[in-house]
Amino acid sequence: MSVLIDGLLAILAIYLALQSLLAPRLIKSVFLFFAFGLALALAWVRLGAVDVAITEAAIASGFLGVLFLDALRDFSPAFPAKQKNPEAAHNVLVKNNTKSLLLSRIPLGLGLGLFLLIALEAVWKTPEGGGLTAAAEAFLPESGVEHPVTAVLLNFRAYDTWLEIGVILMGLLAIFAVGGIKVYRKPNMAAQDPMLRQVIMFFTPVLFLFGAFLLYFGKTGPGGAFQAAVLWGAIGILLHLGGKSIIEEIPRWLRQLILTVGILFFLVLGFLFVAGGNALFEYPRAYAGLLILIIETLAAISIAAALTAIFANLNQMKEDPNETESIN
Amino acid sequence: MTIHELITVILLVVGCFFFLAGTLGVLRFPDLFSRLHALTKADNLGLGFIAAGMAVYIASPWAALKIFFIWLFTLLASSTSCYLIARFQKEQEQTKNGKEGE
Repeated sequence: MSVLIDGLLAILAIYLALQSLLAPRLIKSVFLFFAFGLALALAWVRLGAVDVAITEAAIASGFLGVLFLDALRDFSPAFPAKQKNPEAAHNVLVKNNTKSLLLSRIPLGLGLGLFLLIALEAVWKTPEGGGLTAAAEAFLPESGVEHPVTAVLLNFRAYDTWLEIGVILMGLLAIFAVGGIKVYRKPNMAAQDPMLRQVIMFFTPVLFLFGAFLLYFGKTGPGGAFQAAVLWGAIGILLHLGGKSIIEEIPRWLRQLILTVGILFFLVLGFLFVAGGNALFEYPRAYAGLLILIIETLAAISIAAALTAIFANLNQMKEDPNETESIN
Repeated sequence: MTIHELITVILLVVGCFFFLAGTLGVLRFPDLFSRLHALTKADNLGLGFIAAGMAVYIASPWAALKIFFIWLFTLLASSTSCYLIARFQKEQEQTKNGKEGE
């Protein structure tokens, strides 16, 4: 029975991925991508990796989906009913590029084949007893937390996690670098909606509480900084959509501090104990649990702020100067 | 099969029926408003039945409370998004009609 469910799930995920890539209309692609993310999250749950499943559902499906929807609005300012003959445009593109497509297909195919071979080898070579699981379990009491995934992410391999926080910050910087181009014709109508306001007011504390719970629960079970950050980031995005852009309303220095405090504290802490003869990112054992909780909290705040800032910067509610002039 | 399992199965089947009906409505109904109606009403009822079924299956008051809250939040979120989509569509239609009337 479970083989049947897993098989169906695998087929569903691959089918949705293909459909999302091949869909003729962008809007269809985006919504199929949502469904694909959920199928993938379910697959992670079936594999027993609940941490990954939550992150997949929250970041890959949720946050990326929101960004895709936002991008979709840019491509079609008022959601026109149909794109003008998308297939014809596609055919023209294919005809013009037949030669270059063929040329690019060969290395692409070779690369994909190589990747598949490596993946197969990795699956084949999985050591008995699940690789480093035993080692991680053995040193769990020394890590300061009780959940092996959190122990690996924030203690044994803290360097990786530190870099991941940096990657999100880099993404935000890239968006800052190219941002501010987009201007909307219409200011956001939903901002004045009383019902949306009420719902946002209701969901803000709920999301905050649930984020805090996930953050703290990361010590003993699935959860942690990234999952909590997405929920807190969702608060920022909801408030932004409701017309209250918190990230733009707080002073600039405070914004910069919030955005960088997670990565900075992590870095300082990582290097602080090098002076005492420890390895990089090695914490004193007595305080490891507390330090990890502080790192996770600050990292979650930074990531949440970065996610909110990414969305807010891509979705600025400015009135088009030309439009207002023409009305006047 | 105990009475617990029987109730669970009945609730899940009823929930699946409402989900099917809602999906059929989305696929078959002619315009956006009736589709929204099918999606938000039938599916949320279906989700309620499935949530109730799972609560009976797990049979722990804490878990039942959590499941109930999940259902409640989904209801809130989906009815709000339904309202927003409907409102957006109505505004679109009004501006379209206004332009044609000119």
